[in-house]
Amino acid sequence: MQHIRDGIMVVNTETIAGKVITQNLGVVGGSTVRAKNVGRDITQALRNIMGGELVKYTELLEESRSEAIARMVADAAARGANAIVNVRFATSAVTSGAAELFAYGTAVKVE
Amino acid sequence: MDYRSNRVRTLTIALLSVLAFSVVVSAQGVVEEPQKEDPPLVLFVVGCCVLPWILFALAWVVFGAAYPFMFLFGALFSGRNLERRVNAVVLREQASIEHFGKDPLSTLKGSHIVGGVNNSGLVYSSIVYAPSHWMLLIVWFNNLIGGRINILQKVIAAARSEAKQLLRERAMEEGWDEVLNVRIDTAEMTPASAKNGPRAVEIFAYGTGVKYG
Repeated sequence: MQHIRDGIMVVNTETIAGKVITQNLGVVGGSTVRAKNVGRDITQALRNIMGGELVKYTELLEESRSEAIARMVADAAARGANAIVNVRFATSAVTSGAAELFAYGTAVKVE
Repeated sequence: MDYRSNRVRTLTIALLSVLAFSVVVSAQGVVEEPQKEDPPLVLFVVGCCVLPWILFALAWVVFGAAYPFMFLFGALFSGRNLERRVNAVVLREQASIEHFGKDPLSTLKGSHIVGGVNNSGLVYSSIVYAPSHWMLLIVWFNNLIGGRINILQKVIAAARSEAKQLLRERAMEEGWDEVLNVRIDTAEMTPASAKNGPRAVEIFAYGTGVKYG
């Protein structure tokens, strides 16, 4: 995990401390929908009976989340931003097999 | 109940697959008689069509057979495992608080920092946590009576404290001094309207790591 991706700073505060926002470039976002494979589903279903952490699902969501962030950053880069502020995340379960992960924030220019 | 319908489905799938398999085998016996060259191709095609289904049915059969044991195991050990996990998190928490000199997580926006900030960036962590089916059974009984459901609250609290601890550890790895504006999200793995699927909850914590200037 890098805090600066492609020269774009990503934070979830409204401002970046020590910098001044000079230009607002609008809302940018990125999302992924990921499904697990059947094998994983079966092992995790067994794990689910006993309770506790479902490690494979944790990994899967982590991967998808970083992909969503990467897409958001690409969107911001296309607009010529050098930072994204006030980033938020949303998760929704579309069906029992797939989850949508969505990251959005405001692309800005800072100095 | 959830698991009962699961088992019924398992049994029907197993039965249907056995039936389908026997039909296919007998059909092959009929086809095999007239021509001698065809069977390998027929076998190949049929195998390609049927084999995944048989494997799938087999997996369900295994699942159905393993279910009672897993359920019993969960009933006996899930509470103890949860407790052990909570205790481990408490220890890790103490270690990281010692490292930072205070709890690094806060929901403040950073105006309290006196010296100024050198660098900042996003930190996030997530964990998927599930109550055991034994706990869900207890919850079902609790629902009949009504009132507080402590057992689920315990599971979710454990997941939350673990997600927060992961966030602290990530911040430590990346060398941040503090994590501002921490938010904690909770999402279901399975929508409440769906009948089957993993009954798990995903806790997702994120914040902005800062380095003092």
